[in-house]
Amino acid sequence: MAASNKNIFVKIVRFNPTVDREPRLQEYQVESVEPMSINSVLARILDQDSTLAFRRSSCFKGRCGACILRVNGKDVLGCLTMVSPGETVTLEPYPRYSLIRDLVVDFSQPLHLENERV
Amino acid sequence: MDPVKTDVLVVGAGSAGLRAALAAAEAGSMVLVLNKGPLGKSGISLVAGGGMQAPFHPDDNADLFFQDTINAGYGLGDQNLAAVLAEDACARVLDVERYGAKFARTADGQYFLSQFPGQSYPRQLSIVGGGLALVSALSIACKRHKNISIMDDFFMTGLLNHTESNLVSVTGAIGINLRTGYIVKIEAKAVIMATGGCQWLWEVNDCPADATGDGIVFAYRTGAELVDMEMVLFYPSVVIWPVSLRGAFVHYEYLASAIFDGNIYDRNGKPILSKPLPMRDEAMRMMNQAIMDGRGTVHGGLEWYIGDSPKEKNFIHTKLNTDQYNYIRANGIEPSTDRIQVAPGAHYLMGGIYINEQCETTVSGLFAVPECAGNFDGANRMAGNGLTATQVFGFKAGISAHRWAAAHSCRYPDKRSVDEEVERIMSKITAGNRIGAELFVLRHKLRSAVQRDLGVRRSAKGLAHLLSVTDEVQAELAIIRVPHVAVYNQQLMELLQLEVMCEISRLIAGSALLRQESRGHHFRFDFPERDDLHFLKHTRVVSAEKRAEFGSIPIKYNG
Repeated sequence: MAASNKNIFVKIVRFNPTVDREPRLQEYQVESVEPMSINSVLARILDQDSTLAFRRSSCFKGRCGACILRVNGKDVLGCLTMVSPGETVTLEPYPRYSLIRDLVVDFSQPLHLENERV
Repeated sequence: MDPVKTDVLVVGAGSAGLRAALAAAEAGSMVLVLNKGPLGKSGISLVAGGGMQAPFHPDDNADLFFQDTINAGYGLGDQNLAAVLAEDACARVLDVERYGAKFARTADGQYFLSQFPGQSYPRQLSIVGGGLALVSALSIACKRHKNISIMDDFFMTGLLNHTESNLVSVTGAIGINLRTGYIVKIEAKAVIMATGGCQWLWEVNDCPADATGDGIVFAYRTGAELVDMEMVLFYPSVVIWPVSLRGAFVHYEYLASAIFDGNIYDRNGKPILSKPLPMRDEAMRMMNQAIMDGRGTVHGGLEWYIGDSPKEKNFIHTKLNTDQYNYIRANGIEPSTDRIQVAPGAHYLMGGIYINEQCETTVSGLFAVPECAGNFDGANRMAGNGLTATQVFGFKAGISAHRWAAAHSCRYPDKRSVDEEVERIMSKITAGNRIGAELFVLRHKLRSAVQRDLGVRRSAKGLAHLLSVTDEVQAELAIIRVPHVAVYNQQLMELLQLEVMCEISRLIAGSALLRQESRGHHFRFDFPERDDLHFLKHTRVVSAEKRAEFGSIPIKYNG
């Protein structure tokens, strides 16, 4: 399985609340020989599948928070989080805001889920 | 399609748009701000370092600031605009504080002023937290103001016009609410364009993907004149590799002997730059030449390196312990010891929608604020003038738009301008699968041609090549249809944005062809000399009968 060392395996929770009955998990592979940030992995996936929705803006300083999301169960910034070839990551939308579609959330509408506070 | 109504519509929620919104609202107008991304988490202001120029030094004054700006711009800056910038800078800095942002201060409480190249006296203030902190403060002030509403995730596609006895005025905007997919019509008495530049057109740039020049093209389509579109400011050391760090930059200025005493090296480790460091435009031409001579790395760049700096480790560590450099570290590169692959990249658009001192464009009811408006800079911009201009002209535009709105009743948009725009958007959508080429392939084709032919070295031949590539991309774009997705249709957004990018690429290339000289950041290697006799004037482009009409307008002299 030499090829697997050159691939990053990504599972993304896809959900469009206005038409889908429930979320589904879609799998992608991104070819890379070096570690990549989640943001650049997503930019590559968009080239394979332009139906995916995520926010692309960045401050290039790890501060604005536009790329916040849940990676393997942990809430992180996509621009500061690296993934290496051979690894598998599961991406979900940041759960504290209402979902617009896929990984895009409405930052003006916090959900205030008390039981999910960390 | 029930219209949304407002007095003043502001397009763009960066530091320029938010300042304009506050000025119009404080004067009494109802204001709606449109933003294609989320407030405070999108736009170009977020990447600004946070420097603002203002003459607070006891020996400094507005006249010196004005003269420094004109000199730095190789005599091309609009003198009426530069005078307003210099006169109002201090007042607008105080406003920024009133809205809650903080400036770095000395131990005794004075503004901390540094002296940047071209400044007669120390004139550079620094916002704590950079451009992002400025946007945050203005966002909070806007949210608190009862007259201001902000609509996130609104993708504008065009302006609405009202025609009366052959005179066109702007009377609103149309676009897509990305959250619902509905096309929304907004009727406004006045519209302020504050959409920033188009740096994302270049493959190498240090701006977010939002910087596609939308507002400039919308203004142009509706008849507004554009000036000096060829005047694009480049930055020498934008990171090109690893992929994850594209868009970040490392400081060219830090290579100076007084700071780290580093250099930029070719792939064989040979230094490119002389010491003392050349001016940025000259440095970029040296770097570009080295890359063209085949001395670049496998990724097509050069190496920024300070690993052999003679300076104290502590000094280096402290200076590189900022969000910007920690972001680079998080992406696996250690800036104090690693060789960082860089190339010149697009940084700022100096030209743009023509405005006068009141931020009026050449179309009634339409106002504009730099960065999308021009050209107070000329052929080069001093550090610290970018954010200052957003605040000075943002305020002016807000007041002017308010006055216009107060003096005019709502004018209904021409039915034709609405119908045509709705039809144009709808025609891009298909009930089935995507038709035509992959968008990313076309995007890549356009951006690599722009990078090569519209970068730091230009020529008639290269520009003609770019225009023919743009023709090809536009022809392929015209037949693309994207699937209907009601919520956040990223493909539709990308398609419409790519159309805008093609249009602006033509406008910049046409203006660059017209300017057969080299001045500041515009370098024509087929016309390498500055030619004041023929070209101390602004290039101008206006849409006439749907064709671009290129020409020139004289430099305005102050007074």
